[in-house]
Amino acid sequence: MKNIKRVSPVQLKSSPLKTEQKDNWDIVMEYAGEGDGPYLVDLSHKLRLDLQNGEINAITPFGIAIPDSPGKCVLQDGLLINRMNKTQASIYNLAGQDNVDMPDATGYTDVTESALCVAIIGQQVFAICEKLTSLDFMSPDYVAPFLFQGPFSHVPCQIVTLNKTGDDSGIILTCSRGYGRDMIHAILDAGDEFNLKPAGENRFRNWITRP
Amino acid sequence: MMNRLNHLPTLKIDTARKISFTYKGKIYYGVTGDTIASALFANGVRIFGRSLKYHRPRGLYSLDGECSNTCMQVNGIPNVRCENTLLEDGMVVAEQNVKGSAENDMMSFMDKLDWMMPAGFYYDVMHKPAKLWPVAMKQIRKAAGLGKISPDFKMPGKYDEIFLNTDVCIIGGGPAGMMAALSSAEKGLRVILMESRPWLGGFFEYRSAEYKDGQTLHDRANDLAAQVRARENIRLFTHTACVGTYNNNLVTGFQIGKKSDVFDQRYVEIRAKSVVVAAGCIERPLLFDNNERPGVMQIACALRMAKTYGQLPGTKAVFSIGHDLGLEAAIELHDLGLIIDCVADIREDGQDPALMQKLMDRNIPILKGWVAAKAHGRKVVKKVTLSSIDGLMTRTLACDLVVASAGVTPVTGHITVALGTLKYDGHTGCFLPDRMPEKMYAAGRVLGLNDAMAIEASGTLAGLKAAADCGAGSSEEIGKVAKIVASLPGPARGSKLVTAPVKGRKSFICFDEDATIKNIKQALAKGFDVPELIKRFTATGLGPGQGGIPGHNLPLYVAKYQTLPDVSIRPTNVRPPLVPTLISTYAGTNHTMFKITAMDQMQRKDGGIFRNIGVWQRARYFSDDFSCKKEIENVRNNVGMLDGSTLGKFRIHGPDALKALQRVYVSDMSKVKEGRIKYSAMCNDDGCVMDDGVVVKLGENDYYFTTSTGRAGQTAEWIRYHTRYDGWDFALVNLTDSMGVINLSGPNARKVLEKVVDIDVSNDAFGFSAYREFKIADTIPVRAMRLGFVGELSYELHVPASYMQSVWIMLKEAGKPFNIQNFGVEAQNVLRMEKCHIILGQESEQRTNLLDVGLGFLWDRTKSEAKTVGAVALRQAENDPARLKLVGFKMENNGRAPKDGALIVDTKVRGYVCTARDSFALNEAVGMALVEADLSRIGTRLEIFEDECGDDRIYGTVVKMPFYDPEGKRMKM
Repeated sequence: MKNIKRVSPVQLKSSPLKTEQKDNWDIVMEYAGEGDGPYLVDLSHKLRLDLQNGEINAITPFGIAIPDSPGKCVLQDGLLINRMNKTQASIYNLAGQDNVDMPDATGYTDVTESALCVAIIGQQVFAICEKLTSLDFMSPDYVAPFLFQGPFSHVPCQIVTLNKTGDDSGIILTCSRGYGRDMIHAILDAGDEFNLKPAGENRFRNWITRP
Repeated sequence: MMNRLNHLPTLKIDTARKISFTYKGKIYYGVTGDTIASALFANGVRIFGRSLKYHRPRGLYSLDGECSNTCMQVNGIPNVRCENTLLEDGMVVAEQNVKGSAENDMMSFMDKLDWMMPAGFYYDVMHKPAKLWPVAMKQIRKAAGLGKISPDFKMPGKYDEIFLNTDVCIIGGGPAGMMAALSSAEKGLRVILMESRPWLGGFFEYRSAEYKDGQTLHDRANDLAAQVRARENIRLFTHTACVGTYNNNLVTGFQIGKKSDVFDQRYVEIRAKSVVVAAGCIERPLLFDNNERPGVMQIACALRMAKTYGQLPGTKAVFSIGHDLGLEAAIELHDLGLIIDCVADIREDGQDPALMQKLMDRNIPILKGWVAAKAHGRKVVKKVTLSSIDGLMTRTLACDLVVASAGVTPVTGHITVALGTLKYDGHTGCFLPDRMPEKMYAAGRVLGLNDAMAIEASGTLAGLKAAADCGAGSSEEIGKVAKIVASLPGPARGSKLVTAPVKGRKSFICFDEDATIKNIKQALAKGFDVPELIKRFTATGLGPGQGGIPGHNLPLYVAKYQTLPDVSIRPTNVRPPLVPTLISTYAGTNHTMFKITAMDQMQRKDGGIFRNIGVWQRARYFSDDFSCKKEIENVRNNVGMLDGSTLGKFRIHGPDALKALQRVYVSDMSKVKEGRIKYSAMCNDDGCVMDDGVVVKLGENDYYFTTSTGRAGQTAEWIRYHTRYDGWDFALVNLTDSMGVINLSGPNARKVLEKVVDIDVSNDAFGFSAYREFKIADTIPVRAMRLGFVGELSYELHVPASYMQSVWIMLKEAGKPFNIQNFGVEAQNVLRMEKCHIILGQESEQRTNLLDVGLGFLWDRTKSEAKTVGAVALRQAENDPARLKLVGFKMENNGRAPKDGALIVDTKVRGYVCTARDSFALNEAVGMALVEADLSRIGTRLEIFEDECGDDRIYGTVVKMPFYDPEGKRMKM
């Protein structure tokens, strides 16, 4: 139905230049004035699954092995799998095929609607982060990709660092959908001095598919 | 404006770039790099303000803001420390705590009344007659405090915050701190260096004495600073004062922004693996009469005024010092043009012979074993009386500057706040670090060192030890550097003199609180014999200087006065913030972090008036009429929509999901049937009711349940906690934000819903307490429940959050013919109250159990194998006559509703009103109250006491519940 729309919890004030429609989402592929980075990209429409199972090590969602210890992540075929704890993992379809089928097993729950999801990309990502969280992204103890579950602007979040090298630095951040307005405001405010701008999904695709 | 010395390599000012500012309504000029204080001084200002109690004139003293002497109002902000605050173009500066002006203060007569205000006078006087106390209290409160601010003053500026992680954090950017930073950084570690001044260099930075091989200390400081700046792994924070050190090496501070920064001040929070404290020393104030008169200043203050700001601090000076730094300063200042009449040195011997020779070469008289006894001059220093230490001989000299200092004392607040301890050291006369906190190391002058090489080597050693804590470096290397430190000169002998031979009536030990030596004696005479008690009785050290001025003099004086055999007593505790700063800085950016529902914007457009409710912002009203009459009547007679998305929503699944539900819910959850909803409650171990909601079965071992809004955050942990030893296999997923909820309520609700959905929503097909799943327009999955919280025909539609707006619009369109309206949380509150449906937290508090609120019917006593949380306590409470009971009441004589929380009383408190409102459906005020059992009988008269009602009570009568539609026909229609 033409009047049925899905609304992202992330509302960015920039003007969209290119949009695509998928599964009732209006997805902005490019914004006017995206600048030279860092970039903030809304990925809230990307499928995200919660997987809980006592035998989680034996499960291979979409054929991918789940990392063996909490905090570790794997990015394969556009699918990001984050080991959260002994029995739980989160799965993000960041750049995989559209409309992937939910796996059959009962341990999976579609949590796409539960959280906002954004990518923050660019050299200054961690300078922005340190204005909002005491999580230590730059610790040499953590090798990307890795997962933090902790406060970001005082809100519990899952934050996956995909890269922490120069311009390729970037994180994926998810938190409760309800915090969308205030979380985005906090991030953009913290990023203002670094010229953080909203960017479309093209920018994200280029980044995530970089060799 | 004074001509500046502009040839010195140590200057931090640019005399070519002038800055204008306003002081007392007139335009003045300073130069770039000036502080407000140095700019005022250059313009001839000597009296910056008046003291708290006696309104004594006050001027420059430490140049580091160690006391409130130079606190002024700047751009409307009171208590700005002008010694540390850089001058900015257009600043408006005003004196504070004056009636008239700082120069001519009408309150200065207070100085003569000190005899009326002995230590703790407010504890002794004004209590009798008792009537006097309120009057006196008012006057004292009026006089207390420095500076004034309006409650609605809006703080200008931008305040930021930053949270950092590092391996080694170094407090202090002097030579020891820089060496520590370099040695840690050499190991490849991440290092943060904090320095409170805008530049590095510390004790070396303003001095021209020789470091080594002809290099000056100043040049050495520059060298080290360049090395530090060149290291990529050292993050440098200048103009950043450390304000606190805590467990696990959490270090906090605040940074003053430069013009190029996006903030004016920012709060800095650092988590370090190891910490080095290299905060240096301050000077221990010399105690003599009028020791805070403008014109009396510390050695470094006088020297830095010349070397940093290019101004001679006076024209004719007398020095009264107890440290070689005083001799060095006298020489340097003499060479810059200051006339020095005499140097009185507390020490009989032990001076550096080379410095003594230089003084003699310049014909500067030196009096060994002499000390300043009194500064003269009504407003500023005109002359000074020197005395031999034994007080037998005196000499009075004309001067406009008295450079006075008893010696140095380490800055140890960073250590003691982190629970390190200090010990008096008889050699230095200082309190030195004794037991250091874990993974914290002291370096440099904090250790009592004075020799430049030793200071640097101690920094290197501390840096290596800190690095070792982070797993870098070797004990061999540490041992080598420790040997070097041991081979260098250790702590220098220090001056032991505490006070000049004076009675101390005007010898100020604490400038901020106008506390004198005489006050300390008075406190001792009253039996307050330890510094911590004296501090509180005399207020010594309680001012904005955070104990900097009296910190170490107080215990030394107390020990001396009591002729203790050794100085076993310790300085009083200091607490964060070690350096005063603005509350705005602590607040930081202070982002508002609330949750909003998917309907937030649309409801605001519809006139919703929002309130913060827990972590959420919710539409509480939809008009200025906070009785919500229209909203309520619309639901009772027509149809309304409420956004109930904040409700907690969970999926629990897995083979043992039912067992987990049985554990936490009081009902028998095995009776949850497909297609039906089950209402139940959760209790804690005391049987107190914690939460309620409905449970539906989604499939085999798969349930969906709701909780109250307030409990949603804790529910998953609650269930996991109560099943932690069972090893059950189940999974919990919080779907609170995932699903929006629309409550479609009112007699016309069915007519609206049937226009939007394809299923049969008749009462037969979708009756009360039924649960259905369907899709709207073959697209939007909906979980629908027939509930009756507001007492009318109602559908609770659970919709994926992203689709909420679409469904809301559809229902609104469908409801147009019925004039469907929004209703908010307050209308819902009244509607459910009329129906006597409880809200936990409103009709309960933490001691209220399931039985008290009349929900005992939910409790299934037969499922003992489930070990239901709270069941044991409920059994015990079942026959307890002392418990409160929830009752309904209506007001007598059609009176108004009492306030929520009003007390039910007779001769004592017998209960309280939970919720009460004027009911439009019933045309009278009704409510629910928790009362003692004997008041719960129908017909009992309740006496209600409201805040500040005095003897005017209002009355209600206990009636049957529910008030509205007692048979429940309307919600089952």
